[in-house]
Amino acid sequence: MQRKMRGRGVAASWYGIARTATVDRAGAWAELDDGGTAKVVTGVTEIGEGILTVLAQIAAEELGIRPEDVTIGDNDTARSPEAAHAGATRQTYMIGNSVALACREAKARLFTEIAAHWEVDAGSLVAFDGELRAEGTNLAMTMAEAVDLCKRRGVVPVGAGHFTSHGTGLDPEDGSGAPWQAYVFGTQVAEVEVDTVTGEVQVLGLWAAHDVGRVINPRGVEGQIEGGVVQGLGQALMEDYQTANGHPVTHGFAKYILPTALDVPEITSILVEDPDPLSPLGAKGIGEPALVPTAPAIINAIHDAVGVRIRSLPATPEKVLAAIAEKQARAAGAREAAE
Amino acid sequence: MPEMTLDMRVNGRKVTRRADPGQRLLDFLRDELNLTGTKEGCGAGECGTCSVFVDGKLVKSCLMPVAKAQGADIQTVEGLARPGELEAIQKAFHKTGASQCGYCIPGMVMAATSVLREAPEASLDEIKERMGGNICRCTGYSKIIEAVALARDVVTGRASPAVLEPEGVGDSYIGHNVRRLDAPSKVTGRLKYAGDMVMPGMLHMAVLRSPHPHAEIVSIDTSGAEAMEGVACVITADDVPGKDGFGVFVHDQPVMARGKVRHVGEAVAAIAAEDAATARRALAKIRVEYRELPGLFDPEDALKPGAPVIHDYAPDNVVKHIPIRKGDVDKGFAEADLILEDEFSTQQVEHAYLEPEAGLAYVDADDVVTVISPSQNITHHRHMLSEIIAKPINKVRFIMSPVGGGFGGKEDMIYQGMLALAAMKTDRPVRLVFTREESIIASAKRHPSRVKYRMGLKNDGRITAIRFEMLSDGGAYGMSSEGVMRKAAILSCGPYEVENLQVDTTAVYTNNTPSGAFRTFGGMQAQFATESMMDIAAERLGLDPFEIRRRNMMRAGSLTHTQQRLTSASIDRVLEAAEQASRWEPGPVGMRGPTRGDLGGPGTRAPCTLGARFETPKDSKERVA
Repeated sequence: MQRKMRGRGVAASWYGIARTATVDRAGAWAELDDGGTAKVVTGVTEIGEGILTVLAQIAAEELGIRPEDVTIGDNDTARSPEAAHAGATRQTYMIGNSVALACREAKARLFTEIAAHWEVDAGSLVAFDGELRAEGTNLAMTMAEAVDLCKRRGVVPVGAGHFTSHGTGLDPEDGSGAPWQAYVFGTQVAEVEVDTVTGEVQVLGLWAAHDVGRVINPRGVEGQIEGGVVQGLGQALMEDYQTANGHPVTHGFAKYILPTALDVPEITSILVEDPDPLSPLGAKGIGEPALVPTAPAIINAIHDAVGVRIRSLPATPEKVLAAIAEKQARAAGAREAAE
Repeated sequence: MPEMTLDMRVNGRKVTRRADPGQRLLDFLRDELNLTGTKEGCGAGECGTCSVFVDGKLVKSCLMPVAKAQGADIQTVEGLARPGELEAIQKAFHKTGASQCGYCIPGMVMAATSVLREAPEASLDEIKERMGGNICRCTGYSKIIEAVALARDVVTGRASPAVLEPEGVGDSYIGHNVRRLDAPSKVTGRLKYAGDMVMPGMLHMAVLRSPHPHAEIVSIDTSGAEAMEGVACVITADDVPGKDGFGVFVHDQPVMARGKVRHVGEAVAAIAAEDAATARRALAKIRVEYRELPGLFDPEDALKPGAPVIHDYAPDNVVKHIPIRKGDVDKGFAEADLILEDEFSTQQVEHAYLEPEAGLAYVDADDVVTVISPSQNITHHRHMLSEIIAKPINKVRFIMSPVGGGFGGKEDMIYQGMLALAAMKTDRPVRLVFTREESIIASAKRHPSRVKYRMGLKNDGRITAIRFEMLSDGGAYGMSSEGVMRKAAILSCGPYEVENLQVDTTAVYTNNTPSGAFRTFGGMQAQFATESMMDIAAERLGLDPFEIRRRNMMRAGSLTHTQQRLTSASIDRVLEAAEQASRWEPGPVGMRGPTRGDLGGPGTRAPCTLGARFETPKDSKERVA
């Protein structure tokens, strides 16, 4: 065998969106505010996934203003409607749809007033990027003017929205049930190089195709995929929290090895859109699904490169070397037996 | 505490302070100068989040005593750009979406600035190498490296500054690369995480943790600590006024150990004092008498008859067992041409968010007990805390501070209860910031798993039956184990329609560090086993790995493992997309690497080799990269 051996592996995956085997729910309030800005209030903040930007995009799109004109708060149980937890790949699906519905209600209030003022049908009004117009006419104004006019007519354009995902519990005997109403699927291909002298595995390329329903922010989705892939890579090759008789022995980053910039493959994300028919946005999610297929794709690629099957994660250099040695011993034994 | 007069320039301004010369430069910057853009991630020089420039050199400020910075010129992230402005590197981070949770980002921006200053012509490989001392847990580094390369091109004149400007919008903001709205606050270090927040009169908390994996608490004597100057209160389980217990599914964990400890690192008592050093010193004055109990460290042992019992309510040590049954597995295996049996295991994994747990609690003027923390579930936490402190829901308030990485690890209410109790006992704000070591031993991990797999297939690759049995170590407390077992079971056999299956997932109690929620919630452990089996089966049957997956994949109308009828299934589309994008060369699974024609093409990087390299750039002056 050559010292450096390369190979490729694939793994597929699936995942459910929002909380599992239960009814999930979230709520939001929206107000079209002075200056054509907006306030959106819902009980969650950023854990890094980009939800605030996603919600601002959704609010901007629904209200006809710009994302930077949206103020989002107030992640506070005493000040904002329940949005429940930041997990379960539920933020865009649950809270995104709640915000969309709240914004639709606020916009409908505004449109009713503007349509009455212009004496046109509210259905003919279109708002985008801070401009409002009535289709088929020359009537137009800025959203700042529209809010001002609406308020002078005595109406504050506010809205509330909530979204429900109807999961059902599992039967305690056979587990049957409908745990989620939206599913996503993914497939990743990994290309690795195995150093057969040191046992070190490097992942050189990774192609990740994921259905996200509908892409709200392409770079945001890529960022989730890239982060998920690298966490999956860490679990596949190096991360290992260990205890000895209950005493942690990997209690700092000097002992607990994490991927760095040097461990990262080139990652190609392919975003597939199979819109969710049960929600206003059609978007599903990507946070957790992104890392599901990474480790098996890498392990399958190691097999493709050097013909050994790692069954126990992580595939450390020690394990890879031991597996190669065992394979070679088996091959030698087989040769001897044949002679 | 010895003090000396320290003089230095910080961000261009002369600074003079009487301070403890032995404190870390990091603490001096954060506590004395309120420059909280410099973050603490590990306190051991491993993660780079605390990077600053000292006399122009990039330094990890957690490793430098402030006395060593006497007379030095210090630059922190706050000093890179004027207020309201961004440097090119910061604009590039904003443009590419290089910040996610943002906690590592000030350090990353400093490291990137160092690259641009010291090696403005750096290649991609050199950028990665120079950034290799900074850990990020969210982004996978790709967009960070892209940002550094973009800024490099602008700074060296190879690209127009216009590339840093936002993309114009078309006819919709959906599907548009709107730049992250929170990025400017992250690339400048302006955003305050819980550990950066201060309130007037604030106390600092330190937590006494169990040194034993399983022991009865015979007695706790807090009098020595109570008597110390600067100590405002000591709290133990006795201070809980309501129903003590929290957990995502079963409320089996007390705010602090009650009667016994179940894992090393479990909170036993906590101290709130005028400063963090006093609180930590006072911990040594608490006397706890333990009687050690036999421990359980292997999930198989937990199920043996006569095993030690970790929780009285669960004499069999089972946290949760989830069964799934579909079809007739005996019939399915009888129909199989090939039956494969195998075993797989996955390890316990640390979330390693760069922001260690931190929180700030106070009782407001209306007697509302308020906790600010990077909690991933403020709704559930307020329900649990209201029971624990016996107050109505509207007298409990949770505010979710920016989360410096969560990944499920901040769903457990492992410290907010202590903060609330101390704030109630002292009527003062109380802050707690975990050390990295504390975060690692006290917070939940990804469940380690062992899977016994049996798969029956026809010669054409169609799966006829699967028996899937997973045993997981839940550790000392239930946390999210129930949900993790449920999700692992539902997703177990992958995106394939399997007529006959028998799935059992079980999590048990042991005296190991608890396992809990971690991105995929059991889904990756289960599907690692399934996706390994698919390739093992493909090899035995001489099939291409995409082909065997297509022959079994779910479709619109398929019945899932839990017998839910799918209205659509995009697995065919993602398989095809990945196959095409990677230019996959079809062929049966085996050791194909040596004969493949699709290796090393577009979408791959060169292997990384560390060490000195000589490069001859365009100006042909040789330099060591």
